[in-house]
Amino acid sequence: MRRSLKTAAALVAVAALALTGCSSGTDTGGGGDTGGGDGDPFKVIAFTSGNQTPVGAWWVKAVTAKAEELGWDLTMIQGDFDFQKMNPAVESAIGQGADVILDGYTDISSIGSIVTAAKDAGIPIFAMDAGTEPTDAFAVNITTNQQQIVDETVAAIADANGGSLEGKTVMVIGHDPHAGIRLRSQLAVDAFEEAGATVVGGEPQQVTNPATGRTEALNFVADYLSANPNGLAGVWAGWDDAALGAAQAISEADADGVVTGVDALAETIAAIQSEGNLIATVEQPWPLVLDMLLEEVLAYLEDGTLPAENFVAVDITLVTVDNAADITPSDKLG
Amino acid sequence: MTSQKESTRTAAIIAQQSRRAGGMLLSGGTIVALLLLIVFFFAMRPETFLSFVNVRNILYQVSILAIIAGAQTIVMVVGDFDLSVGATSSLAGAVTAALLIANNPLPIPAAILAGLAAGLLVGLVNGILIAYLNLSAFIATLATMTSVIGLAYLVTGGTTVFGMPPEFNELGQGRFLNIPLPVYIAVVISVIIWALLRFTTIGRRWHAIGGNVEVARLSGVNVRWARLLAFTLAGFVSAIGGILLAARLGSAAAEQGGDNMMFSVAAVFLGMTVLRSGAANLGGTMIGVAIIGVMSNGLNILGVNAYVQQVVTGLIIIAAVTLSSLRTRDR
Repeated sequence: MRRSLKTAAALVAVAALALTGCSSGTDTGGGGDTGGGDGDPFKVIAFTSGNQTPVGAWWVKAVTAKAEELGWDLTMIQGDFDFQKMNPAVESAIGQGADVILDGYTDISSIGSIVTAAKDAGIPIFAMDAGTEPTDAFAVNITTNQQQIVDETVAAIADANGGSLEGKTVMVIGHDPHAGIRLRSQLAVDAFEEAGATVVGGEPQQVTNPATGRTEALNFVADYLSANPNGLAGVWAGWDDAALGAAQAISEADADGVVTGVDALAETIAAIQSEGNLIATVEQPWPLVLDMLLEEVLAYLEDGTLPAENFVAVDITLVTVDNAADITPSDKLG
Repeated sequence: MTSQKESTRTAAIIAQQSRRAGGMLLSGGTIVALLLLIVFFFAMRPETFLSFVNVRNILYQVSILAIIAGAQTIVMVVGDFDLSVGATSSLAGAVTAALLIANNPLPIPAAILAGLAAGLLVGLVNGILIAYLNLSAFIATLATMTSVIGLAYLVTGGTTVFGMPPEFNELGQGRFLNIPLPVYIAVVISVIIWALLRFTTIGRRWHAIGGNVEVARLSGVNVRWARLLAFTLAGFVSAIGGILLAARLGSAAAEQGGDNMMFSVAAVFLGMTVLRSGAANLGGTMIGVAIIGVMSNGLNILGVNAYVQQVVTGLIIIAAVTLSSLRTRDR
């Protein structure tokens, strides 16, 4: 019994020493003071809920590689779209202290508890594509210009219809749970109506599950065309997978009408190059956005300078048959 | 006194007839619901809804669900259910597609066989877990569903696999007599499953196990072996659905068949209300599939919001299961 107690006491002592050793040199107070001053690496927490998407997977790899290059002590948390799992993990990491938090593709609406924890600890969050409007929750959120996405894709559909959409019928396919798609699909409805077109149902057709988005979009368009043969001048889809389903439905119905998407997936680019009914998609320059974000992070780590603006929208590139060959597909970034 | 007796007898006859009519309404409720849906949508869109193009459209849209619901029917006849059918179908499609676009691509038949083997293997694992390791079907198939989705992500690398040979895509997109090939394949598979369940020894054993597992065991049925076969076959049939889906979309992604699990269970439940016994049956399942297809197509044509469609689908399933439980209580 006495021997067991001694063993237990020794184990506790060793554990305490080990923990002390582990925490030495780290600002466990989690304050906002930038670390790394005494040769200690900067502590960076990075999280994304979208790691199972091609772009999210690229982001994880790219940030990890950059952290290794810069000698950061990186804690990478991958959420698999499971906020119940991801948020506590990030909050726990915040509790251990950090200099900076990076948010990749995780909308502000899903991370309220993380924002609160970060604010309490005085740690700034640098985000990319994490919302469509300025918010004080982030030191900066760099995303893409949703209005430009809509302007250029709607113009592409208009061009394919002889330059005017007056009196034409178009379908807009959206997915409201995704903030970016929600905003741009609503902007698209407004733009089409302003151009004199009729939007089917007067609102975006909602895909309920992105995993089956292609099939759902295919069914929307197929059902509409079976009731209204050749009734669509165009289909505007908020992301490429839905656009591919819509394009297939139009082909299967032997109908006219063109389709645009957003994402610049390899499959979409191949479809555009085949000069079928899928005429355009949008390249969002994520590597450039990440570089811009890291520049802001480095400036902050250098001397505590925070970005001048907390919301930046960068320009996109419309991908058509003319430039498709020059575009790196978003699912082939890394 | 005599007239009193007669009026009592008349009241009893009326009550009996009312009960019989109620029973018929209960047992025929699903078919009546399907007919009412067809009549309703036809009335709303008379020039469109029952046109050849739209009926073909509905058949095309439900063909893959019909195959996967057939797989679900097999395990539900045995008294179990399989939450992994959707994930298995996605994995099979992903395996086939990945092998077709590999640096050294396999010939189409070999890639399809590999996809079918993947489905068979998942079904076999389910069968072993449930029949021989005595895990509940819910836990075992939930666990395999999770792992299989992970495997599908590994196979696809998290991206959408595309660029399969046109001959493969033709399986899902081709037409014979202006009817899409998946419709014929779904009909053939459904007939085979129906015949298997109705006319073969193993089919009768599955029904016996589903009716009362203890009685089946005491009657000499090798329950474990029969359940193993049921799950293995369900995996195999789900794989056929997944491969067809990949061919139909010309691409494969890790979770593209995911919603087929929920709809397949719904279709079997709807179909269970067709028989007096309340047992899963292939004919009933096909009526369930038809209800789901007609409702989705009709609501799309009417421009009903997709979220409302989800609510309506759920309500119809609740109504069907309630009908089923009412009849069970009556028995």
